[in-house]
Order: sequence, then structure tokens, then C-alpha cells
Amino acid sequence: MLKTLLYINEDLASSIALRYLAYLNKVVPIALYVAHVEEADEKEHAGTGWVRRAWEDGVASNGKLLVDRMLRTENIDCPLAGRPKIFVGDRETEIIYELRSGNYDLFAHGYLNTADPDDFFSFINSPLHAKAPCPVLVIKNLTVSKKYALLCADSVDSRKLVEKSMQILGDSTFGFDIVFFKFKENEQLVTLEREEGGRNLVEAETLLSGMGKTAENVVVLSGTPEQVGDYLKDYALVASTFPGRKSMRMQTLANSLASVLLVR
Amino acid sequence: MKILVALDTKDYSRKILKNVARLAENTLADIIFLGVQEAGTNPAKSIEKALLKYQQDVYSHFSPEELPYADFSSQKWKEKGPGDWIMTARGMKEFCLRIRTGSVAKQTIAVAAEVGSDLIIIGCGSKFGCEWDGEMNVPLRIAKDAPCSVLVVKHVRKAGEIVSILDQSVVSQDSLEMVNQLVTLYDAGLKIVGVKEKKGGKKDKIEKKMVDLLKYYNDLGISAWIKLLESKDVKDYVTQSSRKAIVALWMGGKESLLKKLFSRSMVDKLLETTRSSLLILR
Repeated sequence: MLKTLLYINEDLASSIALRYLAYLNKVVPIALYVAHVEEADEKEHAGTGWVRRAWEDGVASNGKLLVDRMLRTENIDCPLAGRPKIFVGDRETEIIYELRSGNYDLFAHGYLNTADPDDFFSFINSPLHAKAPCPVLVIKNLTVSKKYALLCADSVDSRKLVEKSMQILGDSTFGFDIVFFKFKENEQLVTLEREEGGRNLVEAETLLSGMGKTAENVVVLSGTPEQVGDYLKDYALVASTFPGRKSMRMQTLANSLASVLLVR
Repeated sequence: MKILVALDTKDYSRKILKNVARLAENTLADIIFLGVQEAGTNPAKSIEKALLKYQQDVYSHFSPEELPYADFSSQKWKEKGPGDWIMTARGMKEFCLRIRTGSVAKQTIAVAAEVGSDLIIIGCGSKFGCEWDGEMNVPLRIAKDAPCSVLVVKHVRKAGEIVSILDQSVVSQDSLEMVNQLVTLYDAGLKIVGVKEKKGGKKDKIEKKMVDLLKYYNDLGISAWIKLLESKDVKDYVTQSSRKAIVALWMGGKESLLKKLFSRSMVDKLLETTRSSLLILR
């Protein structure tokens, strides 16, 4: 089972994330832990010792109520592996600490797609994602599909992509496609010959074959990030390596309406 | 449900009938076909002939045992008032042919208000943007001023996607169902795009609405994707989307941000750029 930590807040993104993981659990057995951080204003508390502890308990109880409300409202068909974890403090610090100490296989949280790829870049380049010790699932939509896509490009380390993705998805009942992205300003999305994928694509296929895995489809797409992002929307998720810079691949992931699994 | 279809003798009117028939079949709606002539003390023969032909085309879509409308063959035109003629067949559902004199937009809006229609469907030509019998104003005016939802069909083609733009407007059950019907009709995916105002206070309200919509469509087995936009990005996004998708704008309610954003010229631009259809939801 994939030990998964899902961060939730009382918002739409978390609502979608909860439902998505309930769906994912049917395809990839998940041991689901839910966490929430109450980021209280430090100026509000005074004192130390038991006074501070009492204050923290009060703040934490607000968080617990929030999580209980979310779980009750969403009423997902996916059991929790443990009690919801409520922390008080800085969100990123607390989550990173929990991920490291809890030895999780996967960290998940919701993200509402916007029109600006820079928003997505800032999001995935936050210290939380930079320091996360496990792959990160950015849940954007509840796409109920039996397939995921491995997004390759010239900038992608195929070995990392295949090995790390298969650790998460290898035992799932998902089928998968390999989508190789080549940026070009076309009027419409163009499908190229397989050979255009080059060495990176061949390496990915060879590695998968070595693991006894075969992609249902291998497609080399030439187009803009918006076009390819739109193409990807019917997949349950798109797996790729963490984009380190504002590349066309990053923009494609930003434009993707499908959820994104980032590995490193 | 009551569907009012504004028709004339042009090709763009004939082409929308198949979709009208499918909608009628899926919704079991009461149908009103409305033709408008400039003036006259009797219904124009060309419009009479066209409406009867269109009625037969819609009827032929159904098998005899499934047809919810009564036979028209024995019906006659009756004068409802000066410049207003009607022919009605009442079966399980009502099918009505109506001819009025005056301006197309004004008469369509008036009949929609009179009968309490839920949806107006109108085709339009694409040679000069979106025109009706050479006039640019007609589809635009109906889209802007109708008391109910309006579907302007410019090109009858398979649309891969319905992009529904949502703000603070009241979302009625009927309008949800209408989007649902379009998704079924075009076998399309659905994008729910929420618009948040600059002042962040109403973000929760929009998100709550989007959750409700997502749940509604997921429960119906309809694939839906979510996106959130700042109000400053809406116009460009909608204009771009209209090139490939059917855009559905929720424009009801006093709080409607979209009503403010989408001025007459903007709706005009949307009608001009769309290569498919535009749905104004109220």
C-alpha cells in the first residue's frame, strides 16, 4: 500500500483532492493519512510553558473541527489509515517534518488551475516541494480515467521518470501512455513519427520493457504547451520529473487539467 | 421545459433542426417554432411553408410510438391577435407554430416572455460574423435581452468541449440541466471556469458553487474539469475558448460579474469569433 499524506484545507482544491484520492484508491491501494496545519498568528499568543500549550491546543482544536467538517461533507469512500494529523505552525515546515518522520511514499494536495503558468511554477518550486522526500501529487481535477500519461521530453531524465513513477504506479490497474512533448508553435497539435522522440524516448521504453511494462500508446506531440496541456486532460494523471525552471514542459504541466505526479 | 426556436427560411435555420429534435427528445420539451415577418395581414406563405417543413423534419426524428407530439395535419392557422398567428398540436407535449409581424428580436423576446420559455434557440449565418438574414443585430439583441437562456448556433458541428463560465450569479437547476443536455447532445467534456473578483472576499462563495457543480455533474457521470480565473483574464480566455468550444455564460442575477464584464460589444465579439455555439444561461 502506498503510504500517502494528503494535506487538506477547507477549500475547493482540498474537496477535489479528497474525492480524487478516493477514486485513486480503487486503482492504487493507498494507506491514506490526512493532515492540516493551523497557521496561527504568533502575535496572538503570549507566554510559555503551559500557557503556550493551552493556546496551541485551542488553535489545534479549530483545525480538528475544520478537518472533521471536510471529511463529513465529502464523505469519501476511502478509509483513513490513521487519525487526521493536526499541526500548529508554519504549514511548509510542519508538512516537511511530517513527511520525513512519517516515511511516506507520496505527498498529495489540491491545486486549482489558473490561467497563469507562473502561478504553477511558484507553487511547485516552493520550499515544501523542493524539500519533500517523496513524489508529489498535485491534484487539479477529478478526472475519472483508467489511464495515466508519462510525460517525456528532451529535458526529462527518463530513468528517474520511469523508476520513480513505477514505484508509485507500477502495481496499479492503470494502463498508461508515453507522451513525448516537442515544443513548436503550430496552429494545431501535430503527431510526429515515433523516431522523433529520439534517445530519451527509446531509453524510457527500454527501461519500461525491462520492468515488464508496456505503454498502450506512444505518441510524439509537436505543439504549444497549451495544446499539449489540453491533450492531456483526459488522463487520470500525468507523471513527469520536477521541472527545475520555467520551461515549455513546465508550462505544459501548468496547462494540464489532469493531475500531475512529480518525481525526482 | 419550454423551448422557443426562432426560425426563418435560410440555411442556418434549417441546419439547427437536428439538434433541436435531439434536445426535444432528451428533455421532452414543449416546442414553439416562431417565424417573424415584417408586416402583413396574413401569414406569409414562405414562412408558413418553412415552419411546417421544419415541424415535419423534427417529427421525422422520432419513431411513431415515441413521438410525444400530436399530429399537425388537421391543424389550421388561427389568428391570436393582429399580426399574430398560431397553430398548436397537443399530445403528451405541446408543439406550436407561430408567426408574428414586426422585428425579429423584439417578437422573439416578447413570445419568450409570454409563454415563459426556458430556452431560446436561434441559428445564425457566419459570413459576416453572426448575422440573421443579413442583420448583425438580431442574435446579439436576443442573447442580451431575452428573459431566459439563449443558445445561438452558428455552426452545427461537434464541439469537443463546453466551457461554462461561472461567477456570483444564481445558478438555477434548469440552467444546470441545460448544460447537462448540451454535454449529452455534443458528447462533449465540460470545463467549469470560476471567476473571482479582485476583492478576494467572495472567493469562498465561488469555490462553494464550483464544488456543488462538480458534485452535480460527477454524479451524472459527466467529466468536468475545474479552472479558476481572475476577472481580468476572463475576456481573453472566453474569446480564445469560443474558437473551439461552446461557451456557456451564466449571466443571471444582480450580482453577476459577467453581466458587467460582457458588455454588448463583448457578446457581439463572442458571437463573431465563435466557430460553434454560444449559450447564455439565465
